[in-house]
Amino acid sequence: MVNLFSRAAFLLLLTVCAATAQDAASIPGPNSWAAHGAAPLKSVETIEIAAAPERVWAVASDFGGYDWLPGVARVESSGGHTPEIDRRKLIMRDGGIVEETLIRWDDEKKTLAFHRDRDNVKRLPAINYMSHVTVKPTTDGRSLVEWKGRFYRGHPFNDPPAGLDDETALKAVTALHRANLSALKARVESGESGESGTTVR
Amino acid sequence: MTLWRLSAIAFAVLAMASPLAYAGQAFVTTQGADALDIVDLSTLSVAATLPIGGKPAGVAVSRDGARAFVASPEGQFVTVVDARARRIERRIPVAGGPLGVAASPDGGRVYVADLYGGRLFEIDPASGTTLRRVGVGAAPSGVTATPDGKTILVADRDDNAISVVDAVRFERVGTIAVGRHPFGIVVDAAGVRAYTANVESDNVSVIDIAARRVVATLKTGSRPYAVALAAGRIFVANQHADSVSVFDEKNLASLGEIPVGEYPEGISATPDGEKVLVACWFSNELWAIDPQRLRTLGKTATGDGPRAFGLFVAPGDLPAPSGARVPD
Repeated sequence: MVNLFSRAAFLLLLTVCAATAQDAASIPGPNSWAAHGAAPLKSVETIEIAAAPERVWAVASDFGGYDWLPGVARVESSGGHTPEIDRRKLIMRDGGIVEETLIRWDDEKKTLAFHRDRDNVKRLPAINYMSHVTVKPTTDGRSLVEWKGRFYRGHPFNDPPAGLDDETALKAVTALHRANLSALKARVESGESGESGTTVR
Repeated sequence: MTLWRLSAIAFAVLAMASPLAYAGQAFVTTQGADALDIVDLSTLSVAATLPIGGKPAGVAVSRDGARAFVASPEGQFVTVVDARARRIERRIPVAGGPLGVAASPDGGRVYVADLYGGRLFEIDPASGTTLRRVGVGAAPSGVTATPDGKTILVADRDDNAISVVDAVRFERVGTIAVGRHPFGIVVDAAGVRAYTANVESDNVSVIDIAARRVVATLKTGSRPYAVALAAGRIFVANQHADSVSVFDEKNLASLGEIPVGEYPEGISATPDGEKVLVACWFSNELWAIDPQRLRTLGKTATGDGPRAFGLFVAPGDLPAPSGARVPD
């Protein structure tokens, strides 16, 4: 009836407003996160690295030094490791830019977390993406590194279109975590071989 | 070492409790597992898991502990759970993105916020019908009702404000500006003050409900998500700090932080104020806190992605199933 039509029109208006609001808010500060859906997703990947946790943490803790990430040409950063303050800009080889804010940095627990500030679903079909990287010791003195993320699918409302659904987001972020871990492993293990005589068991 | 010690304390505390004592139960929405874990608080273990579907997040237990109402934003429905039988009673369709949910004090009404549509629905859980709806602010999240049942408060996340809804007329009668991105909201037992966890400004707004204004702002850990009240204290789950901030309810002084699991979200007290329970989303755990001694009592593993957003703990004095009697 009339009611139904007006409700449909109202909903459409709301959707348009929400989309517009999201566009307007697409340049958030380090503390402002974009609109997202109601069901966060989780991806946890690990890798073993043949180096002591201290050596791995020396690389992983350097928030402004992640030039070893796949696809990254260089990194510009504010230099420090103060959560909610320090930021970095990954200048990608394809010309793109990924900006991230440090959320957590814990030397004692060998863990840090960072949030991707501007969502770009063309680069990564996930939004409001936060990573945690943690270095843990194995029983034989090597390291187990965990890269885990909390994020939402690319579409911030119900009924996502293809390519912006949960499955796509989960697959992309999981692949990214695996690639990042492999790059970290290569970086640490090659760095170690360059320093003669250091045997890590 | 610390963990071992904690476990030992938890074991000792649990061992002291009579195995027949009914300590209540927690209804933990496990969004990744698409289910509801029902945790027996006398043993702090999952007693039953109900498949819910639709990515359940919000939950509200009726004051008498007879029912739990579970909101599934993606499935667009609210599931009514018989808390005693631990059985699903019915599923009620709700438009939009039903996330935050609250029960009226008499349990006769359920209020559900539509995160996407900026509306609050009034639902009759007995008939499964939506009775009334009212427009609130942008991205309404947490919902709570005052103990007299006359007022409903909604945390309008993207408006940085609270909507005040007259529960009788079901009209939005006012708004109160709070911190940035209020998510969880709770009202005290007297119905005098409300508290919002403001995710983006890392603080809690203390609201005088009658005066409709913020009377104090409490600095919390990083990314506060929800608030619980117990033993004259305010407990705030900090997502990014893996901790719970504690404040004195009277003088609002900080009483420190309690470390819990990873990414704590939903936090709720047992109605007798004996325990505070907090769901940890990343580590898939429900932690119990002693609100008097400000120590953790233990934890239990849950299904994937526990949110438990709302008043998710049922009282211990649950009426016995018909034909049976729970010993004192």
